[in-house]
Amino acid sequence: MKFVIQRDLLIESIQHVMKAISSRVTIPILTGIKIEANSSGIKLTGSDSDISIESFIPKEEDGIINIEEIEQGSIVVQAKYFPDIIRKLPLNTVEIKTDDQFQMTILSGGSEFHLNGQDAAEYPQLPVLRTENSFDLKNDLLKDLIRQTVFAVSTVETRPILTGVNMQINNAELNLVATDSHRLATVTVQLPDDYLNLSFNNIVIPGKTLVELNKIIEDNENSISISVTENQILFQTEHLNFLSRLLDGNYPETSRLIPDQSKTEVLTKTKSLLQAIDRASLLAKENRNNVVKLETKANNVLEISSNTPEVGQVTEEVITEQIDGEELKISFSAKYMMDALKIIQEDYVRINFTGAMRPFIIKPAENEQILQLITPVRTF
Amino acid sequence: MKTWDALSEIQPIAVNMLKQMIIKQRVAHAYLIYGDKGTGKAMLGLMLAKSLFCQNKHGGEPCLACVNCRRIDSGNHPDLHWIRPDGASIKKEQIAHLQKEFTYTGLESNQKVYLITQADLMTTNAANRLLKFLEEPSQQTTAILLTENYQSILDTIKSRCQIISLKPLVTQRVQTRLESEGISKENARLFASVSQNLDQARALNQDEWFAQARKLVVQLVGILQANHGEALLFIQKQWLQHFSDREQQNFGLDLILYWFKDLIYLDIDQKDSLVFIAYYEELEKCLWHWSRADATKVIYAIMDAKRNLNYNVHPTLVMEQLTLQMQR
Repeated sequence: MKFVIQRDLLIESIQHVMKAISSRVTIPILTGIKIEANSSGIKLTGSDSDISIESFIPKEEDGIINIEEIEQGSIVVQAKYFPDIIRKLPLNTVEIKTDDQFQMTILSGGSEFHLNGQDAAEYPQLPVLRTENSFDLKNDLLKDLIRQTVFAVSTVETRPILTGVNMQINNAELNLVATDSHRLATVTVQLPDDYLNLSFNNIVIPGKTLVELNKIIEDNENSISISVTENQILFQTEHLNFLSRLLDGNYPETSRLIPDQSKTEVLTKTKSLLQAIDRASLLAKENRNNVVKLETKANNVLEISSNTPEVGQVTEEVITEQIDGEELKISFSAKYMMDALKIIQEDYVRINFTGAMRPFIIKPAENEQILQLITPVRTF
Repeated sequence: MKTWDALSEIQPIAVNMLKQMIIKQRVAHAYLIYGDKGTGKAMLGLMLAKSLFCQNKHGGEPCLACVNCRRIDSGNHPDLHWIRPDGASIKKEQIAHLQKEFTYTGLESNQKVYLITQADLMTTNAANRLLKFLEEPSQQTTAILLTENYQSILDTIKSRCQIISLKPLVTQRVQTRLESEGISKENARLFASVSQNLDQARALNQDEWFAQARKLVVQLVGILQANHGEALLFIQKQWLQHFSDREQQNFGLDLILYWFKDLIYLDIDQKDSLVFIAYYEELEKCLWHWSRADATKVIYAIMDAKRNLNYNVHPTLVMEQLTLQMQR
């Protein structure tokens, strides 16, 4: 393998793949960066086996030549040394070549490094993209989708499948669900009609992956292509591939959990409710579950209260737009409620209760995409 | 020893079982392979893993040349998880890591294998966690547990594994092989007895250290008979110099053990079983000094010494005590 490359491009690419490399891996080869050269450019790969990031540097872009003198080949080099070497080289161009003994020579100006590498065949083989199973999303939409669901995944490993977000596509409708069995967040968006024939079921993406992905995607108008292979999901931008393993198992059926009728309906300002609950939870934090109590009063007033005998008590009144239906007293976790309200950007929120012992639904008033479910806490 | 065929020389029954299971595609979800040191547990385990991962196997025999086979050898296969004791035991965290690993899909395919060496060293916590997913195996996951100590595996784990017991090594077979390679009968017997497999036995033949160790054992026994006072000096000056770390000390004790076993064999006239055939005359002389009952006592003392050594008793003390016990 041999190539001459612009150093800043290589540094940028290294920074991308380093995000996936962890020093605590079980198989030794994953402590390295895989570098592959072929006639169209250079590809760098980093992985911690859960997520893998591939970064591609094209030979030529918009008429600017990035890489010269490419000879095909591949190698794996230690991620501990390679990035630092490249960063500190004197010139703006770097020549990199390898020999049969997996030794890499790095030349730039007067400096010459020889770095021992490993056979690239030892590196895990990442699945190759299959285009028939893919769809495109705008970057900012994907970031929204992640933000609106990933907070609800379970953090305990007792039911590992719940640590992921379930993705479904049917009839050009993309649906994401996350639940930790006490609360549930789901969001549905319509895809263009081109995807009518696309169908995905039971694709469970680890929550950790989505959090990482969210950091990596740039907040711009570009779009990202998502495809699923047998055991991995691939998010592809122009020069970056982000792969993740999926969670193995069947995601529980969640559509049945969502009640279709309601006995009490509340329409209120999102912000004032969120702030009231936030204040009420100040005293509730001490007690075990961070529980607050909600009560409907006359004249469209909600009373939110919390009582921790050792600390004190708090009562908040929220004037709502509208309260319909039966009177209600219900208790729930303030944290779950705040998590749910925080992701709602709309000014008004609609909450549907079906009695004090049944889960209730939170929806933005003018947005049918988002739906959240919280189970109440039994108090006496 | 790389193919099933080669392995079947030492473990014909186990290999046949495993091979048939692979050919007929009836691989169980968990195996517990147990056998003495050197019976080829790890080799069998790795072979089984290769047979499951190999891309172009035929007749249950992995090719040993494809990427998967090569990566299993180098420890770089992403879907093979090899758990080894971390220090003195296999910790709960290691099993937790494994558990996390198996809630994910495989990196390359859905086939996953985990291999646990010295499974008896799992802490109770670790074993119980493992149990949880031995009970609910996911589809293409195979567990391979290896142990030398079958008795200390939890019953609940045993009952969920297909158990494969390996035959103890047949010293006779190693011995004849060595003899056919031109090693004298006397030496071949000794090498075969004290080593764990053919390769190791061959290495012993070249080993200066071992030759010296053997000489020291004979000298020690000689001194014990002739000159009581010098024995402790000998231990201090020569024995402990030569057997410097714990493994070597254990090995030295093994050699003395074989010697006294020989005495008993000689006494009951089972000359075929002798290990130190080369020192037949010395052995006969010893019989004048130690009776059969004495020899039995000494053997018990050696076993105690070995145990003490494992409990971190200072080696000098262990050897001195043993010497005093061996002097009648």
